Parts: sequence; C-alpha cells; structure tokens
Amino acid sequence: MVERFGKFFRYHFSHWVYGRIPPSRSIALNNRSLFIFPSKAGFGFLLLVLICWLMATNYENNVVFAITCLLISVFVITILHSFSNLSGLKLSFVRATPAFAGEQLVVELVLHQEQSRYRESLSLSFLGEEAVATTLHDQEYIHVKVPLYAPRRGIYNPGRLTLESAYPLGLLRVWTKLDLDIGCLIYPQPIFTSPETVNAQSRGNGPLQMGDGSEDFVGLNNYQQGDSLKKIAWKQYAKEQGMYTKHYADYQDERIWLDWNDFPGLDRETRLSRLCGSLLQVSATDKAYGLRLPGIEILPDNNEEHRLKILRELALFEEPSRGDEEEQPFRKKPL
Amino acid sequence: MIPSWQINRHALIWLLLAFVAVIFIHSAHLPHWIIVAALVAIICRVQRYRGAWPTPNRWIKLSLLALCLAGLFLEYGSHLIGLEPMVALLVSTYALKLLEMEHRRDALLVVFLAFFVAAVQALFDQSIGNAAYILGCFLLVTAALVGLHQGDTKIQPLRPLMKAAVLLLQAIPLMMLLFIIMPRLGSLWAVPIQSHSAKTGVTDTMTPGDFSRLGRSADLAFRVSFDGAIPRQHTLYWRGLVLSNFDGRQWSRSAPDDFNYGGFDKGGILQWFGRQTQPWDSLIERLGQPLHYSVVMEPSQQPWLYSLPTPLPKSTGIALTRDFRLLSSTSVTTKKQYEVDSWLDYKIAANDVSDYRRATELQIPRGYNPRTVELAQRWRRQNSNDKALVRKVLGLYNEKFVYTLQPPLLGKHSVDEFLFETQRGFCEHFSSSFVFFMRAAGVPARVVAGYQGGERHPDNYLLVRQYDAHAWAEVWLAGEGWVRVDPTAAVAPERIEANLEEALRDKEGFLADSPLSLMRFRHINWLNNIRLQLDSLNYSWARWVLGYDAIQENLLEKWLGSYSPLRIALALLIGGGGMLGLLALWQLRHRFSSKHDELDRAFLQLCKKLAKAGIPRISGEGPRAYAQRVAEQRPDLAREVKAINSVYEHMRYGNESQERLKVLKWAIRRVK
Repeated sequence: MVERFGKFFRYHFSHWVYGRIPPSRSIALNNRSLFIFPSKAGFGFLLLVLICWLMATNYENNVVFAITCLLISVFVITILHSFSNLSGLKLSFVRATPAFAGEQLVVELVLHQEQSRYRESLSLSFLGEEAVATTLHDQEYIHVKVPLYAPRRGIYNPGRLTLESAYPLGLLRVWTKLDLDIGCLIYPQPIFTSPETVNAQSRGNGPLQMGDGSEDFVGLNNYQQGDSLKKIAWKQYAKEQGMYTKHYADYQDERIWLDWNDFPGLDRETRLSRLCGSLLQVSATDKAYGLRLPGIEILPDNNEEHRLKILRELALFEEPSRGDEEEQPFRKKPL
Repeated sequence: MIPSWQINRHALIWLLLAFVAVIFIHSAHLPHWIIVAALVAIICRVQRYRGAWPTPNRWIKLSLLALCLAGLFLEYGSHLIGLEPMVALLVSTYALKLLEMEHRRDALLVVFLAFFVAAVQALFDQSIGNAAYILGCFLLVTAALVGLHQGDTKIQPLRPLMKAAVLLLQAIPLMMLLFIIMPRLGSLWAVPIQSHSAKTGVTDTMTPGDFSRLGRSADLAFRVSFDGAIPRQHTLYWRGLVLSNFDGRQWSRSAPDDFNYGGFDKGGILQWFGRQTQPWDSLIERLGQPLHYSVVMEPSQQPWLYSLPTPLPKSTGIALTRDFRLLSSTSVTTKKQYEVDSWLDYKIAANDVSDYRRATELQIPRGYNPRTVELAQRWRRQNSNDKALVRKVLGLYNEKFVYTLQPPLLGKHSVDEFLFETQRGFCEHFSSSFVFFMRAAGVPARVVAGYQGGERHPDNYLLVRQYDAHAWAEVWLAGEGWVRVDPTAAVAPERIEANLEEALRDKEGFLADSPLSLMRFRHINWLNNIRLQLDSLNYSWARWVLGYDAIQENLLEKWLGSYSPLRIALALLIGGGGMLGLLALWQLRHRFSSKHDELDRAFLQLCKKLAKAGIPRISGEGPRAYAQRVAEQRPDLAREVKAINSVYEHMRYGNESQERLKVLKWAIRRVK
C-alpha cells in the first residue's frame, strides 16, 4: 500500500517537477532545471555535524564549536559549488546511432559551455541504464556517447536523460532530467534463416538454376513435412495418386526480392524480423535486392544507402509514430 | 575513466596524508602501540596500492580488531570511561578502517572519522596554534573528499587541495557568523573528561614547599582585563582559597566550608549569580565604587576562581561563598572567562564574629610548636592591643628573616623551627607561622591562598603566572573586621611592590621548571617584545573565542537590540543570506562577462560596418558564410574579412589567448 502510494507520488511528483523542463533538442542548465538534495553521504555528514555540536555543547568547548560551524558552513557553501558545476552547461542531442532491437543503442550528445571551466564528474544515464561518466576540462564542448538498450523496432524515445554530479564533496547531488526529444531509429531484431531459404524466396529471369526454386515447373517430388501448402500438387492428390509437391526451378538471378508475402502465417513483427535477417545476409553478397511490403516497393539495388533505406522502411513499417516531422505532444514517458 | 565506486590514487594520497596529520597531533596522549599500529596501517595501505600485498581477508581483519580491543583493555583496564580511552578507541577504529577500506563508501567513513578525530583534539588543547593545526588537518581531509569525487585522475594531483582550500576559505565568513550568533546551550549531560591532566596552580591544602614549587613555573594562571586602569600592584591580591584548618603540618579548608561540588547549594553556603541574596551577605559592607574586570582563567582542573576582595560575580555559573571567594559550578577544565565586580574598600564582620567562626579561626593542634605558643602568650600579655601585636610580629620578621625559594626542610614543630632556627622561608612559611602565632595569641586569623600581583601587558591587561602564587593572612580585629596582613611584605616588600622576579632575581630556583620559557629572556628587548605580542594574540584568542560564551549575550544584545530567538534567527537569515548571495554572484560571475561577450561585440561591430557598406548579414548566416559572401561581393575587402573571420573562429572555437582579441579589434577598426 505504502509502496503503491510512493510510486504514485513519485510518478506525479516527477511529472509535475520535470514538466518544468519542456522537451527540446538542446537545453541549457540553469536554476530552473537543476535540482539539488543531500546524498546519503550528505546525511552522514549532517550526522557528523550533530555529533560535533553535541561534543562542543557538552564540553563547552568553543574550538569544537567553531569546527562545527565550519562544517555547517562548508556544507552550505558546497551547495553553490555543486550548482555551479552544472549550471551554464548546455546539452544537445546530436544523433542516435541506429541499432537493431535487443542490441545496444548509442545516443550521442554534446556538452558545451560558454566559458572555459572545469566541469567535474558528470554522470549521464537513461533510466535503468548504465551511467557514463565524463569531465569537461576547460573545453568548449565534448561529445558523449550514452549507451542504452534498444527495446523494439521503430522510433524510440528513451525518456528523460539524467545528468548528475556529486562534485565537489559528494555531500550533495545535483541533477536534472532532460527530455532531449531523442528519437532513435531501431531496426527490427533480425531473425536469420538458412541461405537456401533466401534463394527460395527470390524470383527472376536469369539462367536456370538447379535446385529448389519457384519460377518454372520442373517436376513433382514426394511430399515432405514442412513443404509449402502452395506447392502441393492438389490435382495428383485429388486423383489419389499420392501426395506430391510441385517442383519448380529458379532462374539464376542477381536480383533478389525481400517479400512480405514470403512468410505466410507469421505475424507482422516476425515477418519484419525475418526480412531484416534476410536483408543482412543478402546485403553481404553482391546481389541486387529489393523490398516488397504491402504498399511499398523498393527496386533492387546494392549499396549502403539502399540498405539503410530498406532498414528504415522495415523499422518504420506501420509504426504509429512514424517520422520525426510528426507533431509530438508531451509524452508521458518513464522518467 | 575509473569505476565510480573505486578509491582513486589522488584520494588515497590525501587520505593517507590526512591520516598522518591527524594521528600525529594525537600522539601525545595515545599509547605508543597505537602509533605503531597506525604506522602499520599506512604501510599496509601503501603496499596494497603497489600491489605488493593482497587485500587482508576477514580473519586478518578480525584478529587485528581483537588485538586492538585487547590492547585497549590492557592499557586502560578499569577506567575505560574517559576521554583518553575514548580517543584511543576512535583512533584504532580510524586506523583499522583505513586498512580495510575498499570502496568509496568505506573511504567516506574514513573521511568522516578523520574529521571527527581531528575535532576531538580540540578537547585536549584549545590554543590558537592547535586550532590552526586542526584547520590544516581539515584541509587535507577535505582534499581527500574532493579527490574521491573527482572523476578524472589524469590531471593535476594538486587540484583537490586547491578546491578544498577554496571551499574552506569561502566557508570562513559564514562560520564566523554562525559562531557569533548561534546560542550556546551549556552542558546537556555529564561527559568524561581528561583523566591524566594534572591539577595545576594553587591547591586547597598548603604544606611547606607547595608555593616554592609554583615559583619554579612560568605557566600562565589567568589574565585580567580591567575597565579602566589596572590598580596599583600592591593591591592586587587575587583571593582564591581560605585555609582555616591546621593539623600541625598542613593547612586545609575548614570542614563546614568544604563542600562537594555538584549537588551543593545546601545550607546557604553559596550565593549564585542571578539568584537571591543569602542572609550572610549582610555581614559585608561594600564601600565606594566597584572595580569591574574580566578574567580568563587557564584550565586548573579545580573549581575555585580568583578575584580581588571583595567580589560579586557577574557571570552565570559562578557563586560567592560565605568567606567571600568565587566558585565555579564545575571544575575549570578548559579556559574559562568570567566577569567580576570588586570593592577594594570593604568591611567584613566589622563588629562581631560568630562563635562558630571564632572557634574555627582560633583552632590550633595541641602538642605542636610549644615555643611559639609560649612566645605568643607572653607577647599577648605585654600587648592588649591586637593591632600592636600584629605590628610586633611583623617587626620580628623584618628584623632577621630571609625570603628565599629554597628554604631548609622543617620537622614536626615546623613553626617553631622556622621562627627560632632556620628563619628562611617562602610565603607559605611566613603566612603559616604568622597565623599560628596569632591564633596562639587569641586573635582569630586564617591563611588565604591565591596569587599576588601580575605582569602588566602593554595592551592594558594583566598576566598572572604560577610563580605569582602567594599565601598571606587575614586577622580579625574588633571594629575593622577581617583585615589582610601579608607577612611576606614585611620581609620582602619588593615581592609585593614589584613581583617575584624582582625579589628573587638571579637566585637559584626561580623558573627552574621552565628552562626554555621566554620569561627567562625578558631582559632581551626584542625577544621580550615578541613574547608580549604573542601573549596579546593568545589573550585575544582566549577572550574572544574560547571565552566567548561569557560575553555573547551582552554583545548580541548590543548589536541586535535584544537577545531573543526571533532576532537571532533574523540575524542568521539576513547575514547568512547576504553572504551566500555575494558568494553566488562571485561563483556565477562567468555568466555576466566572458571573453566571448567581448569577441561577439567586436564581431557585431564589423557586421554593422559591412551593413553600412551595403552587405548586411542575413539572419541565421554563420560568420564563415557571411565572410565568403562579403568576399565575393567586395573583392577589395576579401583578404581582410577572411582573416578577421579566421581569427574570430579560432577565438570562438579554439583556445586562443586574449592577446588575439586586441589584434582582432584593431583589424576591425581598420575595415573601411
């Protein structure tokens, strides 16, 4: 119950608080966007202050009292130092290297500052992801690569980025949670099939290729479990001559089609994953390949740009949040 | 980049340095084996860092802990509750933790322990030098803390120290504000105090030799600041104790006046400052104007305080006793400041003395000093006047007695031997024999112990040292009450008029226990000046810092108008807020001016000029694109504009020095 209330509170509190920092590709940190609170060590330090105060009071010792005052004072001064360590820093989203779902995605950011100052022990992380530590030495800007897990295909917004630092004394934690309006392109998780299957799916008009194909009828083979229902020789079956599959041969062709319809009976995501796997395999060869999705056809070609174009289509196929151009209202993402 | 939970190299160096500094300052009151253990901890740590030794496993750690605990039990045994055992335990914990620390979490604990152990040192020594040393320790510890949180260890190893210094320096104004304003609550509960600290100064018993021993020490007893001029030297009798009991050898306080500190206040013996007046206060007649002064006493581990007769306490926690001395509610274990009003003109019990008091002050042990008793009674019969009798005895001293720090030893009949045989003595011999003589003659008399005189500091305060310890007598004369008689003054008037040094100059024994004291070199002028300056500093420290409690209330009342919680809170808020505001402005000063502002201004000036020439900058056009366009439209300006742009870009995005800015401005001015 308490836990649920805590969750509820944290959720709404963080939305209220971080809602003050609207999403933007580039955000300068100031007193509106920075938050500060004692860390665990800070509370330990306050305990130390309390003990020193008790000692000073009970022994009526003014040197210890002065020491206590000094500790309190250092704690207060540290607020300013912690704050100025982050204040004035500007964070911009540069790009997110596209990745396949289930793999690691790298978000590239740039930290820049107007003045040349030291910014110590900055730690950047997305919720639930590993943090990256960095330091600015007197530089105008640095690039930082923050890794995160790519969960699913499409345009992915990893939520708010936490930038925090405990510098200089570790007693206070200054942080901010920024929505840098990051859209990461994530390709479907590839599922690889055996190379023959890839060939089986291709159709063309080249020289005849021996082996299993789909273009020209060659003869009948005995039915084996797993053969496509389309290829079953229903005529022969109806005549009760036995169960055969029609055997076609392909023409040797440099042009391969990655076709949605090659994976009947599978759901959309699995199809896309298989297409993605096939694409990766095919693109490693020097054959030209094209893509056919419902409503989309990309003519065969073979170069890196082409490959990326196809990957992009696979990533964005029937994605609700397609493209960056689309108006994106304030999303309630996990913070 | 190293994992954030690890202890980096710089942090380790500062941690070790801080450790050495903190342990060193405690070494005076720590058992030697703990120092050795601390050294071992450092060696282990360094070896672990070098990879020479492995991380100690659990059994090694546990056995080390057991060893330390066993050592503490052996060392302190039955009296484990005390300041020294507590510190020893803390220091061993500190060393063990340093030895085993592995993660940043452990290092944080070590840092906090370091802060605490350094602070505890102030309980032993509150001197200005020690406070500065503790501040130095804090600098090292803070540097370690900064080092722990500094991400990059490749850059300058001194950076943590610099950062720590900046932090501490900036913290000092706020610290002073807090120190001045924060109310002191006074002891909340009884705490263990130093067990081995020797009681110093005058004690509550007097045997021959006690005061001559004090004469060998130049340690400070207390300092006094008067409102106005310091009274004349021969009136400065700092009364501390009244000794009425004599057992033939030792003088001590009389039983009814001898109370236990703590739960007294019974029987109306004490009249506390700020409380109701006791009935016996009517015995005293205070004449004329009081003399106001403030005393800062060095720790004596005794509860009695010194004042000029007759005093009234003006600070809390101080009481007036029935024999008109001052008493503190607790033993003076740290420097103590108190304020007093004294009437140098007074009469105590002028008309009559109570039977009880008369009996007490006439008591002499039977069977001792028969020759003195016999002489006293003979003189008594010859002189019916008490005053004349006193004068006659003082005359006896003046005739042939010698004042010396090294008197011969005395046997059972000490007064007889002193008066009729040795005739050489220090103040305790004179006062003791005088009081005995008076009592034997039927005149109520008692020994008073305290200090006499003091050194006048050019800054108008008085330094009273242990060698100023003195014992004198008080006799009761009908019509005059208790009158001070100092037999020493009859023998060595220079002791009272000037000081002991004058009286005993070049005699053996004086300052024998302080061979290096600057007091011995006071005839060398510049050394003496340094000594006086140092003392002035120490006195200010004692008065304004250590004894601040005594003056805080008055001071704040003067500054804030009234000493109320609301005013205090307001002063803290306004003062602290103001300081922080100023500091924040200083911290964020970069916001308001940077080299880029100037650079941009210069560039905008160029744009203005070019706009006038008909080539305005299109909004959103970068400097380089603009320069390119200008160069195309005005080939005559191409070289200049491109050069300016190049410098601009280098300054904007590179690390060009300010020097180039001048060149740039000059070049821009030249563009026509």
